[in-house]
Amino acid sequence: MDANSIIASLSDKFPDEIYDTDIESNIRIVAKVKPENVVDVCRYLKDELSFGHLCCEFAADYPDRNGIEVIYVIGSYDHPVILTMKALLPRDKPEIESVVPVYWNANWYERETYDLFGVKYLNHPNLKPFIIPAEMIGEWPLRKDYKGFPNRTANNLV
Amino acid sequence: MEETVGPSEMIVHLGPQHPMLPGPFRVNAKLRGETIVDSEVEIGYIHKGIEKILENKTYLQGITIVDRICYLEALTNEEAYVGCVEKLAGIEVPERAQYIRVIMEELSRIQSHILGMGEYASFIGFVSMFMYTIRDREDLMSVIDSVTGARITHSFLRFGGVKDDLPDGFKDDVKYVFGNLKKAIDQYEVLFSSDSIYKARTVGIGTLTADVAKDLGVSGPPLRATGVAFDIRRDEPYLVYNDLDFKVCTQKDGDVYARIQVRLDEMRESMYIVEQCLDQIPSGPLFPEGTAYGKRSPVMRIPAGEVFHRVEAPRGEMGFYMISDGSDKPYRVKIRGPVYPTLQALPPLLKGVTVADIVAIAGSMDTCTSEVDR
Repeated sequence: MDANSIIASLSDKFPDEIYDTDIESNIRIVAKVKPENVVDVCRYLKDELSFGHLCCEFAADYPDRNGIEVIYVIGSYDHPVILTMKALLPRDKPEIESVVPVYWNANWYERETYDLFGVKYLNHPNLKPFIIPAEMIGEWPLRKDYKGFPNRTANNLV
Repeated sequence: MEETVGPSEMIVHLGPQHPMLPGPFRVNAKLRGETIVDSEVEIGYIHKGIEKILENKTYLQGITIVDRICYLEALTNEEAYVGCVEKLAGIEVPERAQYIRVIMEELSRIQSHILGMGEYASFIGFVSMFMYTIRDREDLMSVIDSVTGARITHSFLRFGGVKDDLPDGFKDDVKYVFGNLKKAIDQYEVLFSSDSIYKARTVGIGTLTADVAKDLGVSGPPLRATGVAFDIRRDEPYLVYNDLDFKVCTQKDGDVYARIQVRLDEMRESMYIVEQCLDQIPSGPLFPEGTAYGKRSPVMRIPAGEVFHRVEAPRGEMGFYMISDGSDKPYRVKIRGPVYPTLQALPPLLKGVTVADIVAIAGSMDTCTSEVDR
């Protein structure tokens, strides 16, 4: 399975949900997805296109676009193509469906993203404070407008 | 994990400071008798915020920071980070520098496996094994030290090349160390396979099947021990791995014993790779000629773009996702460490085993909390 056929299959199956697809090289493809369809697309990727390996899932903050982008990097055990899938969420209310039912190992990635960016994952099995202290929830330290770095974070350690 | 306990059940916390756990993390295990019914892993005790720190450092300063993600795989971490920048900026690495990188990374793979294996043996009470491995690792560390000038945090790679050339007599040093090491590895194998107590604690314990391992997202030796030949060096070659002859070491059983066996085989394979490199290495410059890249690169602005670059670290798939906005600092760096999914996969593995096996299973995954809490 190569990059072209994967893109063709994806845009065939999800003509409205997937947009801005791009082939960067023969092993790297990029696609944007509407946030409400992310679980359906992931399930299709895993079942039909053998994208069985979620490399990582994380977020990036774009204050100038007023959005937080959730990025899924999905690879495969059978073919060398890696798909980077992005979903743009509004910055004041970032909510997206959890993909844990499809990719089991998304669990910790989503908990970490919630701690650091405040992206709320709906129907996540266990969305509680994970790597930062519970009293820091709400500060979202990896957002670009976080003022506490490095002083506040260092104070926390003492 | 449900906090409520039924009749004749109790919750036992193992860690965060436990002499047998490599780095602080906590296993909350719900027990019925001595059997684990349910468990959960807690991390975050040493979170360093490296992703945030990298956003506030220039690209060159970042090299020293990524060393500290995990000291046993410092060179492969650098490779992933530097590779990202090279892909973004379109820097071609000269062939000699690529060979030197491969040599150093394979040497660091051997020392990581050798320590992981020795630590693991000491976790299950085989402490003399730990002493043997530490002794043999020391020679290897001296060889690495003679090139990079440091034992664990090397800061050796640069954009477009490496900091220093191999010293005189490096080939002979490596030959001498490898001669001893090959004998030592054969000895470890005999020790492991002939010890009935060791076998009783490892054979058939913590078994993963290929499908489950893929589902859990583990990579590296725990995955290859289940028979899946997934190796980034083979599947998505970087540097000069395409020109080198090596095989991907796999085992069938997927238990603790198989994981250690994969590491033993991989050490032999890595030595074979280093020997090939030393025979094939061409002479030439260490940095691309006619560019500003060098040992002390000036402050550089990287073209805007996004890239995901992954390498095969000793423990599995190490990847960096880097977003650049065209300034001299990365806009966002995501570190995808190999141990993060491996540690996450502990609770399903621990279900139904006895308390004594927690350490045997957790240790065999060769976890590194420093990298999980990066």
